[in-house]
Amino acid sequence: MSAMSLRSLNLPGVGTKYEFETDKGDTVAIFFTKTGTIQMYTLQKGCNTPSAAEMTPVEARRLGNILTGAIIEADQESVEIAFSALADLRVTIHSFLIPKAITGKTIEDLQIRAKTGATVIAVCRHDRNIVNPPPSFIFETGDAALVIGESDQIRMFEREIMVD
Amino acid sequence: MEGVVLALFLCLILALITKYLSVPAIPFYILAGVLLGKAGLGLVSSDEISHFFSQMGLIFLLFFMGLGLKTERIAANRSSVLTSGIIDLNVNMMIGFVAAYLLGFSIPESLIVASAFYISSTAMALTSLIENRKLMLREAETVVWLMVFEDLILIIVLALISAGNQNLIIFLLKILGVLAVLYAFAHYGKEFLISILDRDDELPILFTFAAVLTTASFSMYLGIPETMMVIALGVAFATTDPDAFEQHARPFKDVFLVVFFVFFGVTIDFSGGVNWYMITVICLLAIVSKLISGILTGLFIHGSALSGLEIWGNTIARGEFSIAIAVLYGSPLVGTTIAAMVIVTSIIGSFTAKYSTALRRGILSLGRKKSPPHRVHMSR
Repeated sequence: MSAMSLRSLNLPGVGTKYEFETDKGDTVAIFFTKTGTIQMYTLQKGCNTPSAAEMTPVEARRLGNILTGAIIEADQESVEIAFSALADLRVTIHSFLIPKAITGKTIEDLQIRAKTGATVIAVCRHDRNIVNPPPSFIFETGDAALVIGESDQIRMFEREIMVD
Repeated sequence: MEGVVLALFLCLILALITKYLSVPAIPFYILAGVLLGKAGLGLVSSDEISHFFSQMGLIFLLFFMGLGLKTERIAANRSSVLTSGIIDLNVNMMIGFVAAYLLGFSIPESLIVASAFYISSTAMALTSLIENRKLMLREAETVVWLMVFEDLILIIVLALISAGNQNLIIFLLKILGVLAVLYAFAHYGKEFLISILDRDDELPILFTFAAVLTTASFSMYLGIPETMMVIALGVAFATTDPDAFEQHARPFKDVFLVVFFVFFGVTIDFSGGVNWYMITVICLLAIVSKLISGILTGLFIHGSALSGLEIWGNTIARGEFSIAIAVLYGSPLVGTTIAAMVIVTSIIGSFTAKYSTALRRGILSLGRKKSPPHRVHMSR
């Protein structure tokens, strides 16, 4: 396998460019423009005209999540982070939309920690974020919960809590 | 004051429309000024307030340009900047100067027309590269560095024209003196500058405004070009935290620059007679001469005339710097000519920038049809 060479370049007045060639000879270039948008270009080997997509920072992060191999569903996404320095510790952060079945219940009622080992670290409600909700926190319809744990614990959370 | 308000309001509407259609706003600001001013309805005339606003616009435009000129980066790309830059400078300055002189301008006037004729609009070129998604084209890099080179030439032009008939040695000594002070301030005061920029209160923006204004008025007091000195201030400040300075200077630049463009249009005066023949010739040549320099650059840098076509498409538009030259040094006749050139080239340039890739492909397939056995040289 040849080493992937990533070139980065600062273009005055335009922004920063990152470019690399894949093993198969295709080229991918990403530009962080000064206007705040991110443009991604792909150029197939032997082709002359690249195709481009322009993204907002949020969209670009989403694309990044997909590319790192995380699962993304319509409104739920998950990121796995590996800490190679900590005996290859892998932590998954997953977002869930709270179903009707558990609205009105508290985190304590659901015994989330005891049953699954996972932890609810944040809840997004009407575009506001509640970080580290207390055990007495009551879920409402439309909440999105951010849950952290190992991938087994997250799977357990999905099985035990989300269907309840 | 009412004039400024009326002009600003009209520009607000124009900005909305041009952004929606994604065409450059500058030519329409100037046209709005022409419509409102002396040459048009006569609703708005320039007064002390509009004059002050316009001057702020020019000064902040140049300060902003200085912030973007990171000298060490230019040095690192010297060869590519130089080749394309020198072709562009020679071809366009020469054609511009000869044309202006033959059309009856005096030698100093011809120099001013030639400078405005030479310098493309950095703002429009970079916006078109981003908006038309051309950043990955290898010509894009050439265009970006070409703009940097043109900015450097502008500094020299500003110094040369404003030197006038002063004693050159004293003039240069004064400039060097101020430059030394600016660099010493940026170098030894770096920590202080960064500590100011890091604050959340009104201090960073107040400091930026005051620093630019102080430099400008002090230069005027010394009799050296304030335009050049605010660029130098930008270059000096770029060694600390250019992004923060850009952020704090942007609101001033954005608002005052619009006033600058409108009131440039307002002051245009057709009463002295308009030489349409002259204007047409200059506008046509402005497009053709960038085609010549573009193709030469394409051949020299990328080994392909078609690359030159791409460079041409993105550099036709003349804009903010041409107008700056007209405002600073132009007679009414020169001003009108440059205004017409900016309006025509920037509108045509926005189309060529949009369709240059299609044009290239068209020429390629045409070439293939004509001579099937001959493989067209594909660049890349």
